[in-house]
Amino acid sequence: MSDAPQPAFVPSPEYLAREKRFYDAVSLKKPDRVPVASLAGFFVTQYGGLTNAEAISDYPRMAEAWLSSTKKLNWDMAPPPFTMFPAPVMELLGLRTFKWPGKHFADNSPYQFIEDEYMLADEYDEFLANPSDFVVRKMMPRMAETLEPLGMLPPLHWMSSGYTLIVFLAGLLGAPPIAGMLQKLIAVGEEMNKNNAVQAKLSQDLAEAGYPLITYAFAEAPFDWISDMFRGLRGVMLDMYRQPDKLKAAIDLFTPFAIQSALMAAQMSGNTRIFIPLHRGAGGFMSNKQFEEFYWPGLKAVMLALIDAGMLPMPFWEGDYTPRLPYLAEMPAGKVLGHFDVVDLKKAKAAIGDSMCFWGNVPARMLVTGTPQQVKDYCKELIDTFGDNGGLILDGAVDGVPPDSKPENVEAIMETALEYGVYS
Amino acid sequence: MSQELTDAIIEMREQDALRITNEMLETGVDPLEVLEACSSAMEVIGRRFEDDEYFISELILAGVMLKEISELVKPHLVQAAPTEKLGTVVVGTIEGDIHDIAKDIVVFMLDTMGFEVIDLGVDVPAARFVEAVKESGAQVVALSGFLTLAYDVMRDTVQALRDAGLTEVKVMIGGGQIDAEVQEYAHADGWGKDAMTAVNLAKQWYAV
Repeated sequence: MSDAPQPAFVPSPEYLAREKRFYDAVSLKKPDRVPVASLAGFFVTQYGGLTNAEAISDYPRMAEAWLSSTKKLNWDMAPPPFTMFPAPVMELLGLRTFKWPGKHFADNSPYQFIEDEYMLADEYDEFLANPSDFVVRKMMPRMAETLEPLGMLPPLHWMSSGYTLIVFLAGLLGAPPIAGMLQKLIAVGEEMNKNNAVQAKLSQDLAEAGYPLITYAFAEAPFDWISDMFRGLRGVMLDMYRQPDKLKAAIDLFTPFAIQSALMAAQMSGNTRIFIPLHRGAGGFMSNKQFEEFYWPGLKAVMLALIDAGMLPMPFWEGDYTPRLPYLAEMPAGKVLGHFDVVDLKKAKAAIGDSMCFWGNVPARMLVTGTPQQVKDYCKELIDTFGDNGGLILDGAVDGVPPDSKPENVEAIMETALEYGVYS
Repeated sequence: MSQELTDAIIEMREQDALRITNEMLETGVDPLEVLEACSSAMEVIGRRFEDDEYFISELILAGVMLKEISELVKPHLVQAAPTEKLGTVVVGTIEGDIHDIAKDIVVFMLDTMGFEVIDLGVDVPAARFVEAVKESGAQVVALSGFLTLAYDVMRDTVQALRDAGLTEVKVMIGGGQIDAEVQEYAHADGWGKDAMTAVNLAKQWYAV
């Protein structure tokens, strides 16, 4: 095996053309034509002939399907394959935070996220006093069966001497539950390495086929991190009334995490496009007053910090963001790529048409139950509305394109871009 | 004090609401009056939710307050609260889908607004909906589903009800990706994007 350094990736002219097309749209310059890019997940593997259950357990076949689908769909960016979380790893971890196809659901069901109060209402003080200790000794055991023995550890700062390393740590390592956990975790690492090797090769193959990867790193709005991962929806909604200051303290604590973890992943991968899935800030969940008080400050701080670091934040404004448009208009022009789900198109154009590239938003039910002509007509409306300054990238509204979209409906999006989306 | 209690609940002042409830019960006010004050509050809260003044946090906190108040009232009830219900609604999240929060809010609102609610939970097969409707005589069914896989399952569930001879039962559907086109696709009788729409449809169909 040669010790010579791997040849650096040399992007093909097609790769560079796709990248330019994408960034022109993002910065509100007219590209040669309307780009198409999608965060599709299981649609990509189903399009390539796999069930969802197969896609998350047979890594080489997943990679094969991903590559062939990317070429066939011929979007301007490759969809992100790392969303295919490996089922064997989740199984070995005994993960309670998800349920997945093949094990819990039918083979073509998507993953489902199991939200729960992994931190209880009366545990804010404990968490804020020592976040890492709380996460390791209380939350990890709740989130994953394999990690339950972590609850046996004493407060971590006790193990700050040779004495306590011997008495506590070495003592615990002899306990069968801890030893059993460590053995399982070695298996987790080995399985994850298998997955990562396939993912690394796939990334390379996609790039060599001429397709930039749409994203690699992600960040969450700090409110969503607390709501999704710690308190659940019900918990955080009650916290807004019953303990707003503690909720805000937790949000402040996680704001640097959202920024730093995204920067770290961007550095590791070389991919500066940062996807930001958003959940609880949508219209209907909270008032504008609550949005302004709890949700927006943390999210805005994250996006501005990412922009300062030369990254491209790509927030997914999931749900109806019409009531929030004035806040979106605060973002610096051409520096944020906003993915839209449901929104009043005219109001969106008026509020952010000159500042934020519009990414989306063919309705999910149209892709699943509609016709190619309906999709084409909708895409034409998008092009007519947003195309005047080039600030449009086409995609489905939600989940990129839903897994059960009719293939001909998805293909109609690219067809419209080619037939109707060429800028003169 | 009834009006004070109603106002405290409407304004989401949980501690005040509990204090006033205790005061009312300790001074011998009829416990049914306490419950009526709660109902009055819920009417206003429901309207504010429809008017986009109140949102999910207010509905959830209102639900919690009502539950806490009912617990305080229960030991004082000499007779059962009036059980005249407006009608029975069978509610569940369809098979293959486990989203429950929105469904729980619909259950809570229907219950508070005077309906008898049978909550089948999540991941509910069509056959169980059919069984629950037959057993209860309910004339209204509410299907919740958040994933796009819900469309076909909702259509199959509606079909299962019709195949079982339940052709007059009204079905409403709701969830993240539901709209009028999905209602048509699923052959449902109504759809809604929030809990108040569910209440209004139930009221309309039961003609109350």
